[in-house]
Amino acid sequence: MKVFWAFARQSFHSMAIYRFDFWLRVSTILLLMYSVRWVWITLYTQRPGAFGVNLEQMVTYGVLSMAIENLFYSFGVQYYMSQQVRSGAIDVDLLKPLDFHFHMLARNTGQMLFRLFIMILPAMLCGYFFFGLQPPATLLAGFQFAFALLLGYLVGFHLEFLLGSIALVTLEIHSIDWAFNALLRFFSGQFVPLWLFPGVLGTLAALLPFRSLFAIPLSIYIGALSGDAIIPAISLQLFWLAALALISRWLWGRVQARIVSQGG
Amino acid sequence: MNGIQLYFRLIQISLLSRMQYRANFIVGLLGLIVWNVVNLGLIGVLLTQFTSLKDWTLWELVFLYCLWILGHSLYSLFFSHTSRMEDYLIEGTFDQFLLRPASPLIQVLGREFQYLEIADTLIGLAGISLAYVQLGLHWDGWRWGFFVIAVISGAVIVLALNLLIACTAFWTGRSRGAFMVVGQFCGLVQWYPIDIFGKAFRVIVTGLIPVAFMNYYPALMLLNKLDHAGSAWWLSYMSPVVALILVGIVSGVWRLALRKYTSSGS
Repeated sequence: MKVFWAFARQSFHSMAIYRFDFWLRVSTILLLMYSVRWVWITLYTQRPGAFGVNLEQMVTYGVLSMAIENLFYSFGVQYYMSQQVRSGAIDVDLLKPLDFHFHMLARNTGQMLFRLFIMILPAMLCGYFFFGLQPPATLLAGFQFAFALLLGYLVGFHLEFLLGSIALVTLEIHSIDWAFNALLRFFSGQFVPLWLFPGVLGTLAALLPFRSLFAIPLSIYIGALSGDAIIPAISLQLFWLAALALISRWLWGRVQARIVSQGG
Repeated sequence: MNGIQLYFRLIQISLLSRMQYRANFIVGLLGLIVWNVVNLGLIGVLLTQFTSLKDWTLWELVFLYCLWILGHSLYSLFFSHTSRMEDYLIEGTFDQFLLRPASPLIQVLGREFQYLEIADTLIGLAGISLAYVQLGLHWDGWRWGFFVIAVISGAVIVLALNLLIACTAFWTGRSRGAFMVVGQFCGLVQWYPIDIFGKAFRVIVTGLIPVAFMNYYPALMLLNKLDHAGSAWWLSYMSPVVALILVGIVSGVWRLALRKYTSSGS
């Protein structure tokens, strides 16, 4: 835990230098919350009841999905890895008396904690006061949401770590990252909730790991997922977390061997 | 060697250096195509449930999206690295530009040619053609001319806006945050017709960060939806004017920025 806080402190310092930048980021979140609220209100007035949940729940879902976005896109492990390999600075990282995978998790989590307190929680408060964000359906749902969100965060980290490892081989990260982000946008339920997905797309979205990030925690929060229905959702998150952790450690081991042989 | 010749020479050099990585090219193209298809897919999924978004049907939204992306792709083909101004400033690359006997602006612009963005151009063209057929449009010569002007104005508007933001790095040291904000506005305007949002938002994307002139306003005219704008119908024709005004502002700010510049080096 000490390692996490050390990284959180570090990112606080680098953030404090560029305060203007920080305020702009915050205003982006507010803007997104504002817009998503309008989109759902417009659609709802067109066809009330089409969502399967009521308007307050839908607005809460959308606004919250924008507020928590920075939890997942906080640090960009994939960019860090790609940059370190290109510049050769990865040597120093590998020399550190810290498992690389754990090092990345610590760095990422440090940044995430920092953003949680400085951006996400304030954004949620703003959402509550200005954009119709409701408190969680029940107190229990609140705790379940927090737990599911933590799992979602870890799944997201491993996806990015995996992406970083792949990018070390191809040496090009940007376009792979675009494709990845596109899939994430589509299948995570951040922009369009998955229950609106038709047929095959819906099934696919249900099986892929992406919905661990947004759809599952958010559905729990608004009470669309509750009681026993939560168990399969959380199990899916746990399954993907375990699978991705194993795959990314294995792949990193192989890629790392390549880096060493490339050096010199 | 004059400015334009120099520009093309610089682009040629950057292309040659990029062409060494063939695999990146293919992966890059695929990445961009997936990104756009997915975005359109999200609109598609939404409209299978709702058929229209405040009178805007699926193909009209595709048109809106593709008109935006077409203008933007012209910009990004030639100029998208202007968003990396802060790196040039922090890493001291900008000092090199100043030391060489050529205009720093030309050197910044000619530094790279993003040939990958051709994917966006193709998707934009494909989307607009499809929408044109699906919506049963029949433009006369005048409208076709206006369409071309609208696309070019769109490209100029993004370029000018991005240069303006890039220039803020001369004062604040960083510009990524400002890029993010404008990027979000762009994204929203690209996806949604701005009339679904509140008045504040419409004022911002019309007057302050005029990205709505990239697609929404010209599209009103091109899709025969002028009644949406009401008494402000004339805004629909203003894209080229907005582009010119922005170019004027940028050239002034750029000159100020150069005067302000102090190297980051110790």
